[in-house]
Amino acid sequence: MKSPFRPDFPPDAAVLDDHKPLIRSLDRRVLIRGGVSLGALAMLTGCDIKRPEAVEAALLAISRFNDGVQALLFDPNKLAPTYPASMILRPPKFNAYYDVMDVKPVDGATWRLDVSGLVADKRAWTLSDLQALPQTSIVIKHICVEGWSYIGGWTGVPLRLFLERVGADLRAKYVAFKTADDYPSSIDMASALHPQTLLALKYGGDTLADPFGYPMRLRTAVKLGYKNPKWVTAIEVTNKYPGGYWESLGFPWFAGI
Amino acid sequence: MRALPLLFVCGMVTVAAAHAQSATPGGMPPPPGMSLAESAAMRFPQPVRVGDLIGREVLRPVESQDVLGRVRRVVHDRNGQIMVVIDFGGFLGFGSRPIAVPVDAMVLLGQDMEIVAFTPKQLQQFPTFSPSGTTHVPDNKIIKVGLAKPSH
Repeated sequence: MKSPFRPDFPPDAAVLDDHKPLIRSLDRRVLIRGGVSLGALAMLTGCDIKRPEAVEAALLAISRFNDGVQALLFDPNKLAPTYPASMILRPPKFNAYYDVMDVKPVDGATWRLDVSGLVADKRAWTLSDLQALPQTSIVIKHICVEGWSYIGGWTGVPLRLFLERVGADLRAKYVAFKTADDYPSSIDMASALHPQTLLALKYGGDTLADPFGYPMRLRTAVKLGYKNPKWVTAIEVTNKYPGGYWESLGFPWFAGI
Repeated sequence: MRALPLLFVCGMVTVAAAHAQSATPGGMPPPPGMSLAESAAMRFPQPVRVGDLIGREVLRPVESQDVLGRVRRVVHDRNGQIMVVIDFGGFLGFGSRPIAVPVDAMVLLGQDMEIVAFTPKQLQQFPTFSPSGTTHVPDNKIIKVGLAKPSH
């Protein structure tokens, strides 16, 4: 008997060639690549897989759907696991979209944090301004989308407290970040207000070192590693989808843990 | 009919993100003509407790991240240079031999270390480490080691 999932007309095999770079990029997950077959593509919600842009649009629509489901499942009061200080990895693990030799240190004395968007007070902040706010310490796991993780100890200003201080509209959808290394990022307001989301100034009790985002970086326990921009220079509260560096290359935006 | 395939593909899209954060590779060897110390200085050396290095896996800075050995101890050689003694090679813990690698030829990679300045072939030519003439660096001593991003 013919399977009800089998299409009447077999798809054009050229569609796999059109997406060869994307499929090749999955080579660390050979099993998954095996899953990206003509059959799987043919099952894509009835879109016309002869058009590459239709395939990509369908995949991105599913990714956005996943983001929506994750946002619905997110519990703002549920805390991520924490660990004893003795488990902190010193120094932490470095990662970026470029090698460590290309890190451009930021001068903490002249650094300013710009604030814009749906906030009452758009005054720029200095490092000592941030240091003067109440600080919180958390020992949490950094989980990278690549599959590795480590336990780190971070101290800084809860983002919620900062947003309250600048009179941000806490009903806005997004909190967006700009950084000195041109790594734009953004998170949803619920995650921004989570008690384990910090504007981190210290690691393991010491001032952040240059490669890890001095003078200030975002550190949240409720998102994957790539949602933790380093060397943050600007924060914007907005209702307009801000996207991010990896998101513009196809990574999921919500990226919750 | 449409809902079922949709669920199928959800998993696929999430894993597509595993396409690593590696626009440029990590663990690059020192540029030609540059001394080990100079190249290590470019890798933002960070303080690390010697005791925290003992037992760490030492990887090759390639995508497959082959395990080259494990850190056994840290010593000063005759010239005062800090050397990391690695149980190198072997299979399942048998047949390895200790070699001393300059710390400036190595980087920290989270919980692991990498040898960035020597290939496995070069390391095979390294003499078996002998402690005579070297001094032991105690566990509580803090040394500085450069960084690299993951090589995968």
